[in-house]
Amino acid sequence: MPNASLLLEIRDLHVGFRIFEGHLRVLAGVTLWVAEGERVGLVGETGCGKTTTVKSVLRVLPIPPAIVTSGEILYRGRDVLRMHRRALHVLRREELTAIFQDPLQSLNPVFTVGSQLRDIVRDSMRTPEGRVLSRREIEARCIQALEETGMPDPERIMSNYPIQLSGGMRQRVCIAEALSTTARLLLADEPTTNLDVTIQDQILRKLDRLVDQKGSSVLMITHSMGVVRDLTQRIYIMYAGSIVETGPTRQLLASPKHPYTQGLMASVPRLTGRGVSEGIPGRIPNYLEPPPGCRFHPRCPHRMPECSVEAPPMSDVGADQRAACYLYRRSPS
Amino acid sequence: MAKYIGLRLLQSVFVLFGLSLLIFFIARVVPGDPARQALGLLASQEQVERVREQMHLNDSFPVQYYYWLRSLLHGDLGVSSYTRRSVASDLAQYIPATLELILFATLISFVVGQVTGVLAGYFRNSWFDGVSRLVSYLGIATPSFVVAILLLFVFSQVLKLAPGIGRIPIMMQPPPVRTGFMMVDGLLAGRLDVTVTALKHLLLPAFSLAVIHIAQEGRITRTSIVETMQKDYITLHKVHGIRTSRILFKYLLRPSIIPTVTVMGLDFAFLMSNAFLVETVYMWPGFSRYAMTAMLNKDLNAIVAVVLVIGITFALVNLIVDIIIMFLDPTVRLRQGGA
Repeated sequence: MPNASLLLEIRDLHVGFRIFEGHLRVLAGVTLWVAEGERVGLVGETGCGKTTTVKSVLRVLPIPPAIVTSGEILYRGRDVLRMHRRALHVLRREELTAIFQDPLQSLNPVFTVGSQLRDIVRDSMRTPEGRVLSRREIEARCIQALEETGMPDPERIMSNYPIQLSGGMRQRVCIAEALSTTARLLLADEPTTNLDVTIQDQILRKLDRLVDQKGSSVLMITHSMGVVRDLTQRIYIMYAGSIVETGPTRQLLASPKHPYTQGLMASVPRLTGRGVSEGIPGRIPNYLEPPPGCRFHPRCPHRMPECSVEAPPMSDVGADQRAACYLYRRSPS
Repeated sequence: MAKYIGLRLLQSVFVLFGLSLLIFFIARVVPGDPARQALGLLASQEQVERVREQMHLNDSFPVQYYYWLRSLLHGDLGVSSYTRRSVASDLAQYIPATLELILFATLISFVVGQVTGVLAGYFRNSWFDGVSRLVSYLGIATPSFVVAILLLFVFSQVLKLAPGIGRIPIMMQPPPVRTGFMMVDGLLAGRLDVTVTALKHLLLPAFSLAVIHIAQEGRITRTSIVETMQKDYITLHKVHGIRTSRILFKYLLRPSIIPTVTVMGLDFAFLMSNAFLVETVYMWPGFSRYAMTAMLNKDLNAIVAVVLVIGITFALVNLIVDIIIMFLDPTVRLRQGGA
């Protein structure tokens, strides 16, 4: 639980979107935390609110239509949601960084890679004495950042436009952009989902090594079990806008407790064994009228009468492992 | 890139060729005998016949077209029946005056339109956005000559901040004509006073013409900024700590400006022929007013020249716009240039 080295803490975050048809209640009480130097995975199927969570932390949700109804986001104890514009800018510049899902959308199409990278370094890096970097130092830092991602011929890449690069190259550039500065927390939103399978692994290993070198903390958003297994120490499983289970990665994947996690694990296609998994019947709820109580109950094989009345609280289900499910509630004694 | 420009240039030549055919055709189907018109009612039939022969009017249409085009390319556009001067020298006098005016108007509309558009888009739904929306609708709804009269009245008559009509005061000795642009001629003649006075005279009419375009271009830029702001890359620029001013006027503006540039080019060419109301209010000796006078007086040679000039303006402006867009948008450049 929260301790001195806590970096990011999200408490009971509720985020909705006001649209023409009504109020989309997307996040319904997300609670998670990332400690200094820790790597945390956030797993869930498409549309469960992972990206909304990340964008809330970065304060880049379009408001309106988005609206934060309640909850807190604390970075080193400071409330991000109530932060003044200026403080927010400093926070983004010095502490936070991000990689997004789609490398084709992540680079400005009308500027060269070099132009974008240089401006990032110019505006967010200072020498230890607090001086602005010289032109030569900026150039060197940019080239180094590209080299670190394993990009061949960084000088040429600098003068290229994004359209001249392949998806994998562009994602490397995005990684270089994200890691070119001294940011402490990396929010990686499905960084390899849109890439070729053969490239995915390369990129992830590179990212892993770079994060290691810099000692940054990572919140890795993904729907791939393979990615979290290799790259994270602790994970959160998210379903329809709330955290349903959390615990140390390997332990949780080995013995999932929440019915949703169990279903999710059963859905992962395996090379050995028979046939294709059956998946979880039903689909993610409509956020305009989410089911009352536990949002998973319409799809849950263990559903009980109380599931549709009130959302279950987190219960301990193992060492450091907790699940939000009435199956594990302690009998009142 | 040179290949692309060359190709577009070739296209423009074809467009102009088509235009010349069209103008020739129109000039020939208009009822009335050009020879008779040139000589007047008192000339004898033999004289008319002789002139018809001289003007190649008895030849076939392709031959006539050849002679017409040849004299056109030699700068011979005939004589205006209204001003009694050669059309070419009329144009040489009036075109620069209007160009100076609408270039300035375009500059004003570009700068003011972009700045308001970017700010309104970035601070969407703020008070600034609201006010600029309201002013824009007013600007679009108000005819330019109304703006012209209002500005003239307020700034020149009441506040006496700006000079009134014309390009320079009547009392002022104009510099020798070299380019036809009063400000440039003033500089070339080493007479800064002329340049400054000419600039002051330009402000009100140029602004009158610019108002509607400021409003339109501002709105287009705003829409396009709002759209670009939702892109992941702009979000990431923010997250990566790039300064807000840099995001606004570099990373956001450039992708958003492209639709505006296209509209701006069309606006410029449109002003060439539609500035006459403002030119009339400010007694501006310009091309647009000349065009209107030619049409009202059925001055055929002048009308042909006017249509030609407007056609060439459109073709040229479109070419320039395409080249500007090529520089702004690398995707166009890389695809078309084959480089």
